[in-house]
Amino acid sequence: MKNEKIVATLVEYAHKLAEEKVCGIKDMIAMRSGSAMYVTKAGADFASLVDSDIDVVELDKAEGEYKLFADVFNAREDIGAICHCYPAWIAPLAKVGATIPAVLDDMAQIVGSTCKTSKNDSASIIKTLKGRNSCLIKEDGCLTSGRTMDEAYTCVLVLDKAAHCYVSSAVIGKNVIINGLEARLMRFVYKVKYSKKNQENLKSAEGEV
Amino acid sequence: MAWDKETELRLRQVIKDSGVNLLKENLVQGTWGNTAVRLDEDHMLVTPTGLDYIALQPEDMPVVQISDPSIWSDGKKPTSERKIHAAIMMARPEINATIHSHPVYCSILASARIELPVMSDEMQRLVGGSARVGAYGLPGTKTLKKGTVEAMTGRNACFMANHGVFCAGKDMDEAFEIIRIMEKSSYDYIKEQTLKATGQSTYSDELLFDYFVSKYGK
Repeated sequence: MKNEKIVATLVEYAHKLAEEKVCGIKDMIAMRSGSAMYVTKAGADFASLVDSDIDVVELDKAEGEYKLFADVFNAREDIGAICHCYPAWIAPLAKVGATIPAVLDDMAQIVGSTCKTSKNDSASIIKTLKGRNSCLIKEDGCLTSGRTMDEAYTCVLVLDKAAHCYVSSAVIGKNVIINGLEARLMRFVYKVKYSKKNQENLKSAEGEV
Repeated sequence: MAWDKETELRLRQVIKDSGVNLLKENLVQGTWGNTAVRLDEDHMLVTPTGLDYIALQPEDMPVVQISDPSIWSDGKKPTSERKIHAAIMMARPEINATIHSHPVYCSILASARIELPVMSDEMQRLVGGSARVGAYGLPGTKTLKKGTVEAMTGRNACFMANHGVFCAGKDMDEAFEIIRIMEKSSYDYIKEQTLKATGQSTYSDELLFDYFVSKYGK
């Protein structure tokens, strides 16, 4: 029997991603549940996503489009939710293999001091995610993760805004990048202090068992 | 307390509505913004820290002492940026409502640390001149507060370096008019500068990105 809270959370956030116009046509999102994951079907339309568009897959039996999600969940116990999306400002940067630096405080806090582009295979993506929760994937959008789906979703929004700022600032003048030490300090404070209570509340609300 | 219960209830609803309206007008992402409204000379209501604007209730808004923002009562834990809201209200008695947020086009100028020139008569009327960029400081620090207060001198809005925008009005309606004109003026400036850099006559996101790749891409 499916966990109704997790199903409802995935449907809610797929709709939010569609409303915020930060997804393309191949987007998928997933949440961990014990030794399995709940994941949206490959090619499902996020704007009209319904409960039956969500599959439950055992992490050690995942194949095809689901394999990347399972590999990341297996490699990173701290990750509870993943978004693989194609936001407008991210997709072209992923094509050219860019590294997005922290040009805004909210990126430093929620995403980290940089967001790099990984080769498009599980092993490379897991390596690029080391010490981070997000990366661009060469010619394949971005992968963001979080303790909760809300955190992974917020990462998509913040990363897309940072990409927009990074490109626009370079064209109209200059990029002023936040000092690496200060960026890491902000990330630490966000993870252990600012967001902790909210994430704990969200875990329960999103159906973590 | 120098305010009556009826005023407090009305202003609690004003704060609640301000958060929802920031979301509706796409002027904030998630919980990443905060607003304040003055109750009297030394007290203000602010939004709580890190909580969803839709779920927040009017009674969740804490009362914060303007002269010492570490003191607060009622409601939930106030935003860590309350010191900036308090410093502006302390320095500017005519200001009764403040908004701090991170809308996209304001964030671009904040990240590039570019002073926004007056782009229209409306911007001149509402902001009071160009929008300066306050000195960079980590969130919640004295440096950030000092930089914001200095950049707001004689103005009703400023950018906070690599962070966002701060707006102040005689009431929340005016503070919203100011943040709207800041976002529109920032967009107009970016469009103007992009066309100038590219030598093109029609602006689009594709134009901006293609120029970026041709200049900085691998």
